[in-house]
Amino acid sequence: MRAYGAILYRFAYWLCRDRHLAEDIVQDACLRAWNAWSDLRDPSQAKVWLMAIVRNEYLRSRSRSRNDLSLDDVDENQLPQMPSFAERLETEEMVSRLPGTYREPLLLQVLGGFTCAEIAGILGTSEGAVMTRLTRARQALRQRFASANAVRGTGS
Amino acid sequence: MNCLEFRRLKLADPRRLPPDAGKHAAGCAACDAFAREVDETEAALDLALTAPVPEGLEDRIIFRSRHLRPAWRAWALAASVALGVGLGWIAWNAQSPSGQYARLAIEHVVLEPESLTTLRNAGPEAFQAVLRELGATLNEPLGTVRYVRLCPVEDGFGWHVVFDTPHGLATLIFVPGKALRGRETASMSGWNALAQPTRSGYYAIVTASAAHTDRVDQWLRERVVWSRS
Repeated sequence: MRAYGAILYRFAYWLCRDRHLAEDIVQDACLRAWNAWSDLRDPSQAKVWLMAIVRNEYLRSRSRSRNDLSLDDVDENQLPQMPSFAERLETEEMVSRLPGTYREPLLLQVLGGFTCAEIAGILGTSEGAVMTRLTRARQALRQRFASANAVRGTGS
Repeated sequence: MNCLEFRRLKLADPRRLPPDAGKHAAGCAACDAFAREVDETEAALDLALTAPVPEGLEDRIIFRSRHLRPAWRAWALAASVALGVGLGWIAWNAQSPSGQYARLAIEHVVLEPESLTTLRNAGPEAFQAVLRELGATLNEPLGTVRYVRLCPVEDGFGWHVVFDTPHGLATLIFVPGKALRGRETASMSGWNALAQPTRSGYYAIVTASAAHTDRVDQWLRERVVWSRS
């Protein structure tokens, strides 16, 4: 748990965009994992297994409450205006606005370092479908980065 | 490998390209430039996704996982740290002028308003199991338990319990590991709080009025029986 706590938290946070809810999700997921530890047949797959449990907890939390926070709700005027912060926020916003089907595999790959096959196992889909989603996610991000750079007049 | 295949693989998993992809990029300036651009996006993604992790998260996960095993029985171990302290407060019952931890308890309630409006681990089982593991029992209910959560607090973590009483909602926060020099009280933002030291930490009561806070404190003394402290 100690080894994966940060990854699990960040994954939960990027799914729900609420730090308190993210911690709840991770705590509930870890408790669930702890109680079901005997079900884990291959300890080398612990990380994959835990991420899948976090995802399920997130979906469970969404079914309990429809208050799914998105960056669309954030008032940027209330946030600091430092350039580095703004650029980071811009990236965060781009990720947040990706459709969930693209965002999930991207988070699993960037945060968790999973292969497409492992992500397919977590999401319950095919490796090919994961590759397609990741490709489209990055294409969407590239387009948005290009647009943002054009607006800033920096080019890319 | 052709350009289309290279780009598809680079976009799908930029950090795990097969060896022949490297060979292709070395001989194709356009794909090499494309790869650099994707890598820049990945670096920005890495930075943006590295959300700060709450301090002590892993400890709280381990704490809760170890002590909140199947159902409510397990909750208790965790709380034994918090409430094992339980009635030790009587011995430490001296007045403190600062009121720092009483104020912190109020701030905790104000910053977690959902604790007053939502149900979480509602019902008596969680709280009773916590008390049992602490070596305590309830003579009579303190009220209808509607919220139990292990929360991050100023000095680590604590149990946050909300229950409904005939006089309104009351919040109990048990914080192990932080020694208080004496009893503290505070009033702010329409809330009243009382913090009491225990043997290995402290607990705080937060309600809407000083009278209610004192009443809850009295109930704790009367209704919670400690077999050990």
